[in-house]
Amino acid sequence: MNKSQHVVIVDYGKGNIWSVLSALDFLGARAIVSSDPSVIVNAEALVLPGVGSFRSALQELQKTGLDEAIKEAVTIRNRKILGICLGFQLLGESSTEDGSCAGLGIIPAKIERFNSEELSGRKLPHIGFNEVFLPGESDFFDGFSGSADFYFVHSYRMLPGLFPGAKAICNYGVDFLSAYQNENVFGAQFHPEKSQTNGLKLLDNFLSA
Amino acid sequence: MLKKRIIFTLLYDNGHFVLSRNFRLQKVGTIDWLQKNYNFAHIAFYIDELVVLDVSRSQRDVNRFSETLKALTKGCFAPIAAGGGVRDLEHARTLLRSGADKVVVNSALFDDQRLVANLAQEFGQQCVVGSIDLKRNSDGVFGLYTKNGSEMKCESVSDLLEKIPSDCVGELYLNSINQDGTGRGFDLSVLNLCPAGLNLPIILAGGAGHGLHLLKGLCDKRVDAVATAHLFNFVGDGLKKARALVTEQEIQLAKWPPPNQVEENLRLTDGVKN
Repeated sequence: MNKSQHVVIVDYGKGNIWSVLSALDFLGARAIVSSDPSVIVNAEALVLPGVGSFRSALQELQKTGLDEAIKEAVTIRNRKILGICLGFQLLGESSTEDGSCAGLGIIPAKIERFNSEELSGRKLPHIGFNEVFLPGESDFFDGFSGSADFYFVHSYRMLPGLFPGAKAICNYGVDFLSAYQNENVFGAQFHPEKSQTNGLKLLDNFLSA
Repeated sequence: MLKKRIIFTLLYDNGHFVLSRNFRLQKVGTIDWLQKNYNFAHIAFYIDELVVLDVSRSQRDVNRFSETLKALTKGCFAPIAAGGGVRDLEHARTLLRSGADKVVVNSALFDDQRLVANLAQEFGQQCVVGSIDLKRNSDGVFGLYTKNGSEMKCESVSDLLEKIPSDCVGELYLNSINQDGTGRGFDLSVLNLCPAGLNLPIILAGGAGHGLHLLKGLCDKRVDAVATAHLFNFVGDGLKKARALVTEQEIQLAKWPPPNQVEENLRLTDGVKN
């Protein structure tokens, strides 16, 4: 794919949409923001940003029919999607934030709060740049060798698990899934749009994949 | 491992950026001035985070402030926390939709804990930065102040934290009014006003005028990030040099390739780059 594709940033009232849009613009992508399910279904590529709590975000997606539109675009039409931060978690199976809540089920991972045992005295939320170890041989992580720093701001995490895909790992008391790609499904727990030139490179990889 | 952070704080007053000294404001220029004269987009590649505060003393215009935020975000790929007089969820949402990743609250910590709780519920705890202005009185006793340093509310951060529901604030931004804008360095004793074993990230602000000040703040174990609002002391390659100085002393800061290299690389890819 090339950058003339139409990237649609899913707007469900929760995301820091402007930052994502300005990063994609900078990279020369043709990005638009939409909350219309019919636009989402027909997008060539999707970005699902997100700030906030899992439950209220998911309810918003359901209320507007965006949940089904995203699932159709990604699982049936095979369109690529990049979930960022909460948007990445929403692609998962379920979260324990605000009581148990099912996610979009595109990535077979559960989302849980960092627990005090694994944190062993580290502060929560996990805020700031942290070192991410990136695997070779995937479109998403192309050009990164070994590790790079990315900006995180979150209290919930996914564990790497045994499911397939290229997994970038960060350690914050526990090894957690910090970025992921399996075919057309991309995700980052950190904010690539807020990770300076490292993040721009990663977004560029998503666009070029 | 988690890196420490250098934060740049921009103060905004009705369309202009300002310098503050002990909370007295001096106009310096508009967003265009900042971009043209100081190539702010380039400077932004040498900070870990940007804080933008609307400290307008007269009526605040949220929409106008948001337009400035949007303009700043163009070409700034670092996290941004924004605030100043945040009164309700919609105000916060406007900031978050204009490029902010986090919302800074100050007066609400003391006067409207319900709003703080609502912000955390709607946008997540990690999204709420609690900004606390501290002033040492003539007898050496500290007070926590609101309303631009005019109204004293309580005596220690511990007192304040007891009033706020748990898990509603993601970070604390501690600013010394006495040191503010002096360029004489941080007052590390404000950290003593926090409860021992505080589990929240702490941003130390007020007084940094030199890279060595930033270094001294970052060397304190309790400090996760240092902030400076001293525009003139850190323009040009001031921030770049400060980063280098801090890193030489084995403080772990995040690394990324310099912007020119990335801009070069991006031009070589198949995309159209304006």
